[in-house]
Amino acid sequence: MLTHVLVAIVPLILIASGVMGVRSSMRRSDIPGYAANAGLGAAFAALLATLAFALGQPEPNAVAGSSGLRAIIQVDIVSISMLLLVNFVGAIVLRYARTYLDGEARQDSFMGWVSLTLASVSILVVSANLIVFVIAWIATSVFLHQLLLFYPQRIAARRAAFKKFVFARAGDAALIGAAVLLWSTYNTIDISTINAAARLGEADTKITIAAILFALAAILKSAQFPTHSWLTEIMDTPTPTSALLHAGVVNGGGFLLIRFADVLLLSPGTMAFIAMIGGFTALFGSVVMLTQPAVKTSLAWSTVAQMGFLIMQCGLALFPLALLHIIAHSLYKAHAFLASGGAVQRIANTRRPGPVAIANLRTVTLSFLLAITIYGLLAFGFGLTKEAPQSIALGAILIFGIAYLLTQGLAEEAPKPLTRRLVAYSIAASLSYVLLHKGAIWLTHDVLPITPAPGALEWVLMIMAVLSFAFVAFAQAMFPLWAYHPAAAGMRVHVSNGLYVNALLDRIMKSWRSSSKSITQQ
Amino acid sequence: MTNTKPYTKAQSTTLLRLANEAGQAIPPAWPLAATVAVNPFLGQAQEPLATASARLARATGETATMDRSWYLKKLTSGAVTDSDIQAAIAATPVSNKEFSVEEVKRSLAETIPQETAVPTVADLAAHVSGIDWPAIIAERITAWAGSFFDEGQAFWSVPSNKSVYASWRSYAIHDLTSEILGLDGFATHMLEAPDQARDMILRSSHALGIRQNEASSYYHQLLMMLGGWGQYGRYQLWQANLSGGEDDIMLDLLAIRIAWENALLAQYESEISASWEDARTRHSAKLTPSKDQEVEAIIQEACERAEQRRLSALIGHAPADKNEKNDRPNLQLALCIDVRSEVYRRAIESLDPGIETLGFAGFFGLTLSHKRFASDVEELRLPVLLNPALSSVSGSSSDTDNDNAERYKERATRAWGRFKLAAVSTFAFVESASPIYLPKLIRDAFALKSDEPIKDPAPQLVDALPEKDAIDAAETILRAMSLTDNFGRLVVLAGHGATVENNPHESALQCGACGGYSGEANARLLAQLLNNKDVRSALVERGITVPSDTLFLGALHNTTNDSVQIFQDGHAAPQDGAAIRQAQAWFDQAGKLTRTERSFRFPGTHSDDDVRARSHDWAQVRPEWGLAGCSAFIAAPRERTAGSDFSGRSFLHNYNWRDDKDFSVLELIMTAPVVVGSWISLQYFGSVTAPDIFGAGNKLLHNVMGGIGVLEGNTGPMRAGLPWQSVHDGETLMHDPLRLTVCIEAPCEAMTDILERHESVRALFDNRWLHLIALNESGQMASRYVGDLEWEPFATHDEPGDGDDGGSEEKDLIATP
Repeated sequence: MLTHVLVAIVPLILIASGVMGVRSSMRRSDIPGYAANAGLGAAFAALLATLAFALGQPEPNAVAGSSGLRAIIQVDIVSISMLLLVNFVGAIVLRYARTYLDGEARQDSFMGWVSLTLASVSILVVSANLIVFVIAWIATSVFLHQLLLFYPQRIAARRAAFKKFVFARAGDAALIGAAVLLWSTYNTIDISTINAAARLGEADTKITIAAILFALAAILKSAQFPTHSWLTEIMDTPTPTSALLHAGVVNGGGFLLIRFADVLLLSPGTMAFIAMIGGFTALFGSVVMLTQPAVKTSLAWSTVAQMGFLIMQCGLALFPLALLHIIAHSLYKAHAFLASGGAVQRIANTRRPGPVAIANLRTVTLSFLLAITIYGLLAFGFGLTKEAPQSIALGAILIFGIAYLLTQGLAEEAPKPLTRRLVAYSIAASLSYVLLHKGAIWLTHDVLPITPAPGALEWVLMIMAVLSFAFVAFAQAMFPLWAYHPAAAGMRVHVSNGLYVNALLDRIMKSWRSSSKSITQQ
Repeated sequence: MTNTKPYTKAQSTTLLRLANEAGQAIPPAWPLAATVAVNPFLGQAQEPLATASARLARATGETATMDRSWYLKKLTSGAVTDSDIQAAIAATPVSNKEFSVEEVKRSLAETIPQETAVPTVADLAAHVSGIDWPAIIAERITAWAGSFFDEGQAFWSVPSNKSVYASWRSYAIHDLTSEILGLDGFATHMLEAPDQARDMILRSSHALGIRQNEASSYYHQLLMMLGGWGQYGRYQLWQANLSGGEDDIMLDLLAIRIAWENALLAQYESEISASWEDARTRHSAKLTPSKDQEVEAIIQEACERAEQRRLSALIGHAPADKNEKNDRPNLQLALCIDVRSEVYRRAIESLDPGIETLGFAGFFGLTLSHKRFASDVEELRLPVLLNPALSSVSGSSSDTDNDNAERYKERATRAWGRFKLAAVSTFAFVESASPIYLPKLIRDAFALKSDEPIKDPAPQLVDALPEKDAIDAAETILRAMSLTDNFGRLVVLAGHGATVENNPHESALQCGACGGYSGEANARLLAQLLNNKDVRSALVERGITVPSDTLFLGALHNTTNDSVQIFQDGHAAPQDGAAIRQAQAWFDQAGKLTRTERSFRFPGTHSDDDVRARSHDWAQVRPEWGLAGCSAFIAAPRERTAGSDFSGRSFLHNYNWRDDKDFSVLELIMTAPVVVGSWISLQYFGSVTAPDIFGAGNKLLHNVMGGIGVLEGNTGPMRAGLPWQSVHDGETLMHDPLRLTVCIEAPCEAMTDILERHESVRALFDNRWLHLIALNESGQMASRYVGDLEWEPFATHDEPGDGDDGGSEEKDLIATP
């Protein structure tokens, strides 16, 4: 019960400071300081809750009719780790915003809306029943909307916020539909009870439709192709909003799939669908990212890609790894956005130590073989071979990434000390991946369902995924040899414009309506 | 189409000349990796403020002056008096209109309609179609230009082996966006476009019905619409011109923008041809400032005269020289003329009578192309008006191993960074390495970093100077510093730099005289030169005797945290230890005093530690105020200004005209540091008066583009100039937009002579982009340059009737309440 109380304190702190903030309209008041400290307080409470959870007795699996806080708050490794993550990032973002927005007329309300958004994400991740879940889900995007329109007079801000608004409402409808279906099927709103029942039960049409609606809600929330373009356009609001959005809010879709994993597993078709959407979004986003010359835009495309990867992991039923991905990516992306002002110096620095060694076909092939060897050794060493084929396929995809690091070290012009260093980095990264992967599975084994044995559809998907990621990784490693060929020029234009998905959406939504400003003739 | 006949050859030549001139009228913008202040009115130096303001309004709808409320506040607070206005009326070149003080004041109280730019075809098309074409064009040009000019953000950029226009064309042929958004056949239009930018300009101009008398204004407007891209193009042209070359980049950029106009007119001609005809007529009208623009130019001048009145109370009234010329200083500290040094100089001088300070341009006369340690990048550490004459590197052959080790480390870091950002590997990075961002977030959020001193080994010239050149350089520089006798025991030459975190505009806080880099390499090399025994003995023959125990040391003044790092570089002997320790102790105390004084300029900052903390805070958008507030440039012996508090708003250049036999040093000052000062002052001026055009916008939205500039948010043109947060603290402007007042203690005739020989410098003073005031023997403001090589006595208007030679009309007006 102590854990539940500590968990409950977290959003209460944030709501209190949030309400104080949005009601204030003073410039340079004390509120930003309070809000930043409240953020630290909430993070501290989340840390205590984590400790209480780790040191306390394991909670019995929730039973129907649990009452009091237990009916509202679910305490397990998924909710606790998400709560800690969200509030850690939140505390950093609030602290940053306190200084960053100093002197802004509406800083207090900015701090307030950030706090309220964090409070609703905190409630979302710990919610034990469908009603709280749905309310927190909707509240998150409603509060975030206020931040997206922090400068309401900016046309670009309105353009992006409107897109987000439309997708968010569609996602809300899908989520509500799924919740109602689950409620009517299982006669309970308790999420663990639903999952437990789903784990034992059979699929029926209602459950399948619920799974499809969850998938839709997740796709819309986590900016999956072709609904991604709001995410890459949201830049016309202060940087901390981007950090909060990319490290806290956009994960909501992935979290939804993890939270209702047992329900989704009842619909293998839906799982296959999200694996495909996710896999495509991951490759699409990561290739578009390569062409983006503006730092925040590039980071936003990176998030699109990473969310795709997350959704693909869910689709492959690798839920523990998806949870790990959310946490790892959030830490990285929060930092990347907040530190994006350093891009000028970072780019200047990359030019200092001399040219980049360019790899040829032989080196690239060698790197791939070496990376696969490293992975093979680690897999045998740590017993990964006993795991589900989906997990091994995912590992293979990641190892193609490691190969790129090796490629740079093995390039002919790379001096020996550089080669040694990069080989060491590659081994360290591979080892780190294996350990994190083992850790995630170990921590979540009693909460998240195990990956089911693949059927024919899953095998096809896995093979397609491995081959397409391998292809892109190989093309990337060979990059300088083909990317500037005249034949690639047209492709680059199409890729850099995200295959015009956003332009088409703009046309449909009439995003570029000209403002009512009339042209006065003198 | 209006023109049916093709342009004649002569017409074509004229149009292209006008296009080139329009390009020249755009100010350059340096890339943010090493940016310097630029006068945004560089292309308008030949005309006065009112005309430049009218030109800007015609092109963009913005004026070059402040909102009237700002001027009214100056009036009601009493800062600006009627006699200031009277004097300003007399001084401002007003065309065919006579103003009275009352008229000016009455006019200022009126609300005036917002200026409107002449509409472009894109504006007119937007009006009739409801599609925001100007914004779409800006977005599309940025989508291409960002990639074309990218210095290394994207892995897959646009190849830069083509001309700007050719690259754009190849992009536009493939890009479907504009057609999806409603511009039919744009790709085909670009496919059929001429290969050459000049042909495209002529073809489009012809299709648009542009006549010669409209072209100049129209071309200028189109280039202004490109915002930072036009300015970045102008920078490339500047660099080409500086090294004696040519570049057609401005024609290329114009061709791109006019191609859109051409395509849009083709699509919407039936609906907009009449309004487009009107617009062209407005372009052909003679550019004359409106009455409002003239009134604003007058009150602007009046504000500057009020400031000069305030300034006149500060200079030339210092107590008699406390440090008699014959007392040898223990420490001489030479700092950059940068206004930030003024605070520090006052602080350190207050510590001990044996401390003397000097002001000199922070590149210390050495025009370096410098490679820092373990770097291949040639950094031009010199004023951007000049070409580098010397090449230097950090470290000598004995440092090679360290240099390589550092490079391997950097290259491994770079490879890791590429691993992080490449397709597919980015997933591996997140799954394996992102947890390291947990400690990174904590470190950065709580600023758990310490001050990092510069560790680069001493710089060396790549080719040592021949002995005679070395001696010449030493003599020239010492004379230019007016440092030819009474050398101190220790002479510290301090360049300056700034340490800030996470700030795209970091280089704007570095030394402007060192091309937006820090100035320590130049200072260390000069110290090396002046410690050279052979050079010193040769200097004796040229009348400069440096005592044998005088030690020169390079140093770096960090303007963000006001620490000074001394570089001994092997010059110091054991017996110098005490003097160096003493100097360091003084530096520490002076730093504390300076930070304390600066803390009052930051809201919510209460101590010197708070100021120090700003330089490490990754969320801090105002780590320091840079040169905000700069309003005066004073070239005189330090005695004239010592003891007065200029609040960090004055450039102080040491100059003693009696030692300057042929006025060559004066000429150097008026043509180099003064011009740089005007660029800085006018950059602040433009960023404050026309922030949407010449400012970089809101820092909270900045999105670094290609490592060279920023976007405000997601789209729009690149933004050059200063961010709003650099000139405004949220509640008040930190920079009063006043054009620089240059005060020089030198004979008027000498200055007149120099102005006569340097037309571009003269234009700055004649058109009042700068004010020039001569100081008399005792350093008081004595004569004012009124233009056309004429001077008049300087009057402060302290009391009614004290005005300069005003006729009876003027006296009447002053008497009016």
